[in-house]
Amino acid sequence: MYFCLFFAYNSGMLQGLELRDPIHGFIQRDSLEKQLIDTRIFQRLRRIRQLAMASLVYPGALHSRFDHSIGALHIARELLDKLVPGREREKDREIVRLAALLHDIGHGPFSHVSEPLLQKYARPDKVGVESCDEIHEQISWSVIRENGELARHLSEVEREKIVGVLSGRWGCSLYKDIVSGPLDVDKQDYLLRDSHFCGVKYGVYDRSRLADTLRVHADADDEILALHSDGVHSLEQFVLAKYYMHTQVYRHKIRLITDEMIYRGIVLGIEHDKIEWLKALYSYDGTPEFIRNYTEWYDDRLVIEILRPETPDGKAKQVFRRLLERKLLKRICSLKVEDFVDAEIRRQVFTPSMEFHSALEKRIANVYNFDEDLVITNLVKFKPGTRTESDVVVLTPSGPRLFRDESLLFRSVNQSLQEENYFEVYAPVEYDDEHRKQRREHEYKSDIVKMINEALSIANNRTATEGGAS
Amino acid sequence: MTADDFLLLVIQYFGGEIQGRTLLQKRAFFASVLSGVDPGLRFDAHYYGPYSSTVDNTLGRLRALGFVSEDNLGFGVAPSGFEMRRYDYRLTDDGKQIVRVLESQPEFQAVKSACQRILSAGDPDYFTLSIAAKAFFILRKRDGKGMSRNEIIGEAKKFDWNITPDSLEKAVSFLEQVSLVRRRNNEEN
Repeated sequence: MYFCLFFAYNSGMLQGLELRDPIHGFIQRDSLEKQLIDTRIFQRLRRIRQLAMASLVYPGALHSRFDHSIGALHIARELLDKLVPGREREKDREIVRLAALLHDIGHGPFSHVSEPLLQKYARPDKVGVESCDEIHEQISWSVIRENGELARHLSEVEREKIVGVLSGRWGCSLYKDIVSGPLDVDKQDYLLRDSHFCGVKYGVYDRSRLADTLRVHADADDEILALHSDGVHSLEQFVLAKYYMHTQVYRHKIRLITDEMIYRGIVLGIEHDKIEWLKALYSYDGTPEFIRNYTEWYDDRLVIEILRPETPDGKAKQVFRRLLERKLLKRICSLKVEDFVDAEIRRQVFTPSMEFHSALEKRIANVYNFDEDLVITNLVKFKPGTRTESDVVVLTPSGPRLFRDESLLFRSVNQSLQEENYFEVYAPVEYDDEHRKQRREHEYKSDIVKMINEALSIANNRTATEGGAS
Repeated sequence: MTADDFLLLVIQYFGGEIQGRTLLQKRAFFASVLSGVDPGLRFDAHYYGPYSSTVDNTLGRLRALGFVSEDNLGFGVAPSGFEMRRYDYRLTDDGKQIVRVLESQPEFQAVKSACQRILSAGDPDYFTLSIAAKAFFILRKRDGKGMSRNEIIGEAKKFDWNITPDSLEKAVSFLEQVSLVRRRNNEEN
């Protein structure tokens, strides 16, 4: 007992601060980390599910951004203790750990589903951001900089350094690599965690072996996260885990449908039902007032507020009631690139375009007599992060190489992911039996291909004629 | 302009084919800088110089859509440990068809002129363009503050690049010819 206490004191930990985690076992926190976890803003992450409504297909997938953030902290601690040793870098280690802990602090209701909504409704006159990734990042940075509770535990300099690690503007590249690089603690945790809670084994990889083979590659004034050549196979396993999780979980058709329904329900609530508080929630303008309001929201609150009697009956209520009762839209058609012979039609189908896709939704609704607000077209494609494993530097006896040049398997997997592009249509249909379902799906597919070809041929001919006339 | 459209045009204006992923990255970088067209490529500092994962991902997408073909061949080990395997990208017939459509877009002329400026400036190889891109990337981040020749060599060394005075001169000449840098007469290094 005395030995344990002595050990705990010497390693900077305090007894009783451990958490038991289903993925990593006991997770240690120091007192500052505990204080930050206990803030209201961090506790909010308990109510933001990691995979939005994926529990409608994987009932166990009820885990939250809270668990994941603490898992990321744990992995960051292990990596930093190994890769960035020494008393002189103790403060750096703390900053990077806190960046890992707070990396998801700006998530809104339904996590990633919120991001395209922020992009759609951001006030372009007030913010100079181009992509939804940037808005999401900016919200996190604003929370870290401005939240009063966090400010009680962290100095302004510390908060700026944490934002600097997350944005890659402070510290060496190694720190950014640990928090948001190709092998970051985010991915290392979520693959295992999502796999566990979904009850699948696809995301399992040998984390300890991967950690064992990670190295720091240093030059005159920078350090990056690299991999010893012995770790190539463990990284391949990691890549395969990511691949299978994408194909089997993240891109499961029900999950895609629920995400699209949430998005559509909110858009209808803002544009059709004119729900003012919903519009305010996504009209990002970079102000502290926006951030304060945004961080008051979480998954269940959004559903409850939309469904409460005081909210006028409308389209949003209809969609969210369907989600709540699991009366989901069904996929009536899934088209691949090869289904379109004409190059220009192929390009237009697989390029996001509000005009074309919403016109097609209306036409499909019209032909089959569906409610046009419940017909959704969706481009399904693999969206890799800003840096993929392709760029990981592998330290071989003959010098540093890139992982994509070292691993034939990676090239095949990466190519497969990039080539999987689908154009899907979801609609409010019910089937009596499997036989009828297959027959109807076949009919829908052939009709929809015809509709697309007709619509785009007419549009292209019109453009060509106009071009010729001018 | 989307990243898809931008890259199709860049490949087209370099003869319909670009040999090497690094060369394509650097040409896309300079084509974007010189044309003023920002298709959202988001070049980031990388171990081997400015790099855009969007370019890589877009190439994968264009390949998947059948607009670009990719060949790769083993290329041996360069002394710098750089690009052992070369990836070549070529517009397919479908890709050429799309380019004809894109040439009706207002921004295409700016991309075309930018590619022509790179070609007219000697069409440097990937190594020279990499050095030029790195130097320009660093200079741009310095908000107009200059950089001496020795500083460029120093920067390159940090990335394990073995730069000869010749290759450095080529990179600087390229940047001068496309009017991205101005050489100061009082530079001693």
